[in-house]
Amino acid sequence: MANNEASPFESSDMLATFVASTPLLAESWRLCNHANTSPAAHRSFVAERIGRVAYVALSGVQMVGGCWYETWRNMVALDRMDDVAVFSCIREGEEPVMVHAGILNLFNSLLHSFKTQMLEILENKDTKSVVITGHSIGGATASLCTLWLLSYLRSITSCVSVLCITYGSPLLGNNSFSTAICRERWSGNFCHVVSKHDIMPRLLFAPITPLTSQLNFLLQFWQLSMTSPDFGKLAVQITDKEKAELFTAVMDYSEAATQGDEEGESQGEASATILFRPFGNYLFVSEFGAVCMDSPAAITKMMHLMLATGSPDCSIEDHLKYGDYVDKVSWQFLTQGNSSMQRSIPESSYEAGLELAIQSSGLANQESLIIPAMECLKATRRMGPSPVLNAAALAVSLSKVAPFRAQIEWYKALCDEQDEQAGYYDSFKSRSCKKSMKVNINRFKLARFWNDVIEMMEKNELPHDFDKRAKWVNASHSYKLLVEPLDIAEYYRKGLHRTNGHYMENGNRARRYEMFDRWWKDRTRRDGATEENSERSTFASLTQDSCFWAKVEEARDWLDSVRSESDTNKLALLWDKIEKFEVYANQLIEQKEVSKDVLAKNSSYSIWVGDLRELKQLREKLKVFPHQLTSILDGEVVP
Amino acid sequence: MLSFRNCCYGDSKATSGVDKDLPESHEDALLGLKVELIKKACALAFKAHKSPKKYYLLEKKKKKNRKWFEDDHIIISFHGSWASTDWFVGKSYGDTMINQELFPSLKSIFNDEVAFVNEAFQLRFESILSNSSLKHEVKEAMTKGKQIVFTGHSSGAAVAILATLWVLEDYLINNNKSKNHKLPLCVTFGSPLIGNHIFSHATSRENWSHHFTHFVTTLDIVPRILFVPFHSIQPVLSSILQLLNPESKTSHPNSERDSLTSEFYSTVMRNTATVTSYAVSNLMDGANLILETLPGLVDLSPYKPFGTFIFCAADRPPVVVRNSDAVLQLLFYTARVSDLSEASDVSKKSILQHLRYEAELQHSFENLYDVVYLDQLEEIPLSADGSNRLTTTTALDSLELDTRARLCLRAAGERQKKKKQNEEKINKEFNEKAAASMKHLKDYKATCEIGYYDAFKVHKDERDFKANVKRLELAAVWDEIMEMLKRYELPHEFENKEEWIERGTMYRVLVEPLDVANYYRHFKDKDGGPYLDRGRRPRRYRYIQRWLEHGEKIRSEEDYSESCFWGELEELRKNANDKYGSFEDVKERVLKLETHIKAWFERGNLDKDVLLEGSTLVNWWKSLPSKHKKESSIRSLIETSQKTSMH
Repeated sequence: MANNEASPFESSDMLATFVASTPLLAESWRLCNHANTSPAAHRSFVAERIGRVAYVALSGVQMVGGCWYETWRNMVALDRMDDVAVFSCIREGEEPVMVHAGILNLFNSLLHSFKTQMLEILENKDTKSVVITGHSIGGATASLCTLWLLSYLRSITSCVSVLCITYGSPLLGNNSFSTAICRERWSGNFCHVVSKHDIMPRLLFAPITPLTSQLNFLLQFWQLSMTSPDFGKLAVQITDKEKAELFTAVMDYSEAATQGDEEGESQGEASATILFRPFGNYLFVSEFGAVCMDSPAAITKMMHLMLATGSPDCSIEDHLKYGDYVDKVSWQFLTQGNSSMQRSIPESSYEAGLELAIQSSGLANQESLIIPAMECLKATRRMGPSPVLNAAALAVSLSKVAPFRAQIEWYKALCDEQDEQAGYYDSFKSRSCKKSMKVNINRFKLARFWNDVIEMMEKNELPHDFDKRAKWVNASHSYKLLVEPLDIAEYYRKGLHRTNGHYMENGNRARRYEMFDRWWKDRTRRDGATEENSERSTFASLTQDSCFWAKVEEARDWLDSVRSESDTNKLALLWDKIEKFEVYANQLIEQKEVSKDVLAKNSSYSIWVGDLRELKQLREKLKVFPHQLTSILDGEVVP
Repeated sequence: MLSFRNCCYGDSKATSGVDKDLPESHEDALLGLKVELIKKACALAFKAHKSPKKYYLLEKKKKKNRKWFEDDHIIISFHGSWASTDWFVGKSYGDTMINQELFPSLKSIFNDEVAFVNEAFQLRFESILSNSSLKHEVKEAMTKGKQIVFTGHSSGAAVAILATLWVLEDYLINNNKSKNHKLPLCVTFGSPLIGNHIFSHATSRENWSHHFTHFVTTLDIVPRILFVPFHSIQPVLSSILQLLNPESKTSHPNSERDSLTSEFYSTVMRNTATVTSYAVSNLMDGANLILETLPGLVDLSPYKPFGTFIFCAADRPPVVVRNSDAVLQLLFYTARVSDLSEASDVSKKSILQHLRYEAELQHSFENLYDVVYLDQLEEIPLSADGSNRLTTTTALDSLELDTRARLCLRAAGERQKKKKQNEEKINKEFNEKAAASMKHLKDYKATCEIGYYDAFKVHKDERDFKANVKRLELAAVWDEIMEMLKRYELPHEFENKEEWIERGTMYRVLVEPLDVANYYRHFKDKDGGPYLDRGRRPRRYRYIQRWLEHGEKIRSEEDYSESCFWGELEELRKNANDKYGSFEDVKERVLKLETHIKAWFERGNLDKDVLLEGSTLVNWWKSLPSKHKKESSIRSLIETSQKTSMH
């Protein structure tokens, strides 16, 4: 098994060949160029359809004057776009997801027209995929547009593929942003083309406030040149000295950014200044080829190393040379590489792959950069087993925890037959069954297993379609139905609701259950299976709404509040909630969607129903004798 | 000589066929094919082009002057065709489902997906089969115990391949394995690719790969044409095909022709690069999510090579490659240019080489003694120097492979090695874990007092709980195997191994009743419908059953088997207990089930324990209308069993 540990190949060079051999780069660049040069598209976008692929290019000519200056390196939190939650797995206690304020403004100003355009594209049933692209600032806007589209498509269940291709885009978001994209498994939907020396994608590493005015001149120069190569001359030129200062600053800060990574978790001071972080895939292009990678740490390092081979002048000119690079890499694949091989080739496949990557990134003739570049690529090498092996190993682990589950099932059957007639939920909550302790331990073991599964998923250690495999969708669903009631029981047994609010509020519910809800929902969506409600003749073996008990607990709370509430408005509100739950619960029971423990004589639910009946009777009476309200509720008058 | 060792990973079985006594014993043979035979086949393949009116040419042995023919060969060659509609029909890559009547084995057993094949080629073969005397000719030759060799050049090769497969299938179904039958061989020259990955997988699984020998000159454009979507070459395809026709009389002005071929070459190569770099990125790691996104945007060609390829470059020893992942990579890497300025020269050659197989092969055969078998790909040297395994190095050099190309070949080799390791791993797991669990369940079954199914369904003792754990453990082992098969991570021939078919069947028969019992014990039918409904019965059982059926070449028409009839029984029982259920509604189904049960008992597929007093089956049967019971086919079975248990 030893050779399963680390991946035997380095494929960043091969991936780049794949991307470059497709027509995507050439087509998207052509449209970017069109968006940059046609005045009608400025501050907007152009759209075109090629076959079944819709291309949308955001113009790189977006900024006028001071807006960039004002928001330079300012970040704002991003959680909703057009009222759709963007990321579904934000965790408590983490740095919030932030993006460049100026670019978000730009995006917001475009959103309306972009959305209209997108809906039109998606309405066309012929649309198989969408490519959103942009050069320079247009690239960063394109990333936000793509993000909006991805969250929108997720909400409407669509199988349209989306790819964002940017050229020389500035950085966009912070580390949390990058991590969130990765967790959503969207990193494959972004391909940022960055040329060897282009300073633009690296600019935001550096807090260059003293140079802001020069920066604005530079942006003007770029934007004018994009509109037409001759226009560049119209811009205010910045001096060589200023260029050099800018270059040095970016070099220094991009290096500092990589050091943050090398220090590992304890980033401390470094992370305070480094706000921006690459996300998605980067396709680095040089005159010798291209490499494609998706590790933010490696990307940061490569940005620095590749810039180190350049000069202040070419770092500015390279931002305008993507046309040449695209042209070059789209032909490079056809020729053999032996001639440019100067160094001897190691015999290990992995090391040879590294060597190829170094060559393609154009670092091979800079002896001092080779070692650090290799080190940074090596750091991205997958050291654990491959995703497929991980999934296989998990299947075995699943069978190992299956007895724990089986034991809980057994326990449930036992509870349901007990003399107290309290049922599964209440027996566990009151620990009245002697097996409860054992079951509680099993509950922990299962939780740990499933948490591990989710963590592996988010670290991309599992196959991409893992959460779509029937085996795992079904296993997680039945786990949820069986064990979540116990989690709820434990939550209320410990009285945590008094300090943290109800189980369903404020993220008190374990994240795994929310994930499993999504897996299950996606499954029915995918199979086109309409939730076929073949009528049940007996009660389900497990209550189909795993949060049912949490709802009961809330309803109980409302009932208690009714007793002490005197404000009629609030009272009406409470009654409304109570009645809604009553209807819901009745419906579940009628359809036999609940397990029989819900209806056990002494279950929380049964007791609640009894209380409700009493209270309703009281209310009826109150309508006749409203003045007796307080005394009755205080329990002085027994009806 | 190291390079002559038979392929060490995966294909060991494949090499045991025709070429088992390779290579020292036949120095005038390549892969067990006599050189003279190959030459003759090549000549005939080209000769066929001259008679486009005939469906095929047939060359029988002539005793007098053809001494190289052993007495029993006939060569059948098909001519090519160069109308663009004979290459591309329909949508982007012109592929369609293979004709299941003619080629029932060409599918994935696991996913139950049918292989795809180029529609134009298939149509042409079908028309030849139904309009010519091919069937008759083949039958006669087979009966006489002759060795049939199908051959063809260009699109004629595609027909030859389908003809060979058809005979292999026919042989398999009719299965009259009388000794003097010889399985057909197929030798192609400059053949286009014709099928997708399932096509390639199924031919390997059926152990047919070694029946196909494809000669390809390194630059020939034809084996790469089908990597291009039709729409992107449609305007030029007719003109190009005219250039590829050895019999073509039309001539283009040079300049026009050059720009045409040059553009065509780069279009083909660009698409070849996309297919091969995508394949190799997946072979190498495949973890980057961009590999999932891009196929949604770029229509990738479905075609994959299969069989044995022999790459020939003028004046260089031929190189034999049997790993089809490696062949795919070579189709790209052998036709690159060292400099873009060479492109126009290479593009001319890419057309010319297609026309010159006879001459090119002549050269290759002069170097026959140096023929190199490219096996053990994961260990090939990465640079031209630094290795003492000379023959392999020569092969790699003669194909002008750079480091990148060699890494791709290694990736192909690693994948094959990995498949072999996976098989070893599950073998080990099976012996260590599954065997013990199976024994446990067998003992459990033997000691169930109220019958195996019912005891488990009642599930009231500790031992039932333990049996459930064993069931789950076994499910894990088999699910892992299923997962590997789904992803083609086991050797292709795995599914054809009797050992595994037998293990699978034993597992299915022993454990599936417990799954059904568990299903109904937990009322899962209320959530998801009957156990036997689509998608309810676990994949592992559905699949293992198909495995058996494929192995025995029987076509299943039944909805259930002896391991899962419980599902049907439970549904019928529900009907019987339902006050609205009427016997007449389900009468057909009852009769069918009874007939099956009777047959299973007669064949010994079912054990007596299902007939114990109080068992689900007996209780249900007793609840049936007495009129029906009187004539029921299992009445005597049940009554006898009741009597014996009384005593």
